[in-house]
Amino acid sequence: MAQNSRLTPRNRLREALVRWADRSETGQRVAYWIGRTAGGIQLRLKIKAGSAIPWTPLKKPLAEATIALVTTGGVHLCADQPFALSSDASFRAIPRAATGDELCISHDRYDRRDAARDINLVFSLQRLLELEQEGIIGHVAAVHYGFGFVKDPSKLIAPGREVGALLARGGVDLVVLVPA
Amino acid sequence: MTTVALALVRELAVAVKAPRMLYLHWPFGHALGEPGQRDQQRAILHDAFSMARLAPRPGLVVDLPYQWRRHVYAPVKDWTTESETLREAMKITIPSP
Repeated sequence: MAQNSRLTPRNRLREALVRWADRSETGQRVAYWIGRTAGGIQLRLKIKAGSAIPWTPLKKPLAEATIALVTTGGVHLCADQPFALSSDASFRAIPRAATGDELCISHDRYDRRDAARDINLVFSLQRLLELEQEGIIGHVAAVHYGFGFVKDPSKLIAPGREVGALLARGGVDLVVLVPA
Repeated sequence: MTTVALALVRELAVAVKAPRMLYLHWPFGHALGEPGQRDQQRAILHDAFSMARLAPRPGLVVDLPYQWRRHVYAPVKDWTTESETLREAMKITIPSP
């Protein structure tokens, strides 16, 4: 299997598994079941039940709003430290000026080939920049954020809050969260 | 700050209790669709922006009806009006009284 230089290498068995999971209907069903079961157990064990769901209505028209992306697809600047593939709750800042060639993917749990061809599948910065240029949205935020694979979702609470504070400080009105 | 999250596992979208979630029954690594499919990717962003404006209460998970590789996406004609696809999906999610 040829390696793409923008994808952090992983072992051949996992690469074969995620490709099967992506390209066949049976594989997609199995991957969904694993994601649902493993993720569900983690969420039940780690997330407190009964807490209120946050709610902030959008206060500006789209044409005046500043919009940011947060992806959990393992996207980061190639110049930055890659995410640890086994589990990594840290985050990476991605400036709006980042081009597709400057972005790498460090994530072990999905078939990254399509995202490597078109990073918009997991980090749609190019689409947002087009919408800004067309006057459809107000501004694309100066900085966006990437996370990698995390086994224990409770480890995301502190860095998640930190990213929330950074986005608020950056004057962001609307965040679109994109999963792997 | 308003958030809209895309989700690829419905049960997790429900369990995580985020303010607004759009569920797509698509493979992992394809939350915005297929590579090079600009109209498809823009349609999902239009749905997300519409969800930011239309969602009536926290914790709502809306199932978008797009079938993987079987749906033809027209260009979004008017971004100042909400996505009809989302409006229809929300009617199913929130039954009329």
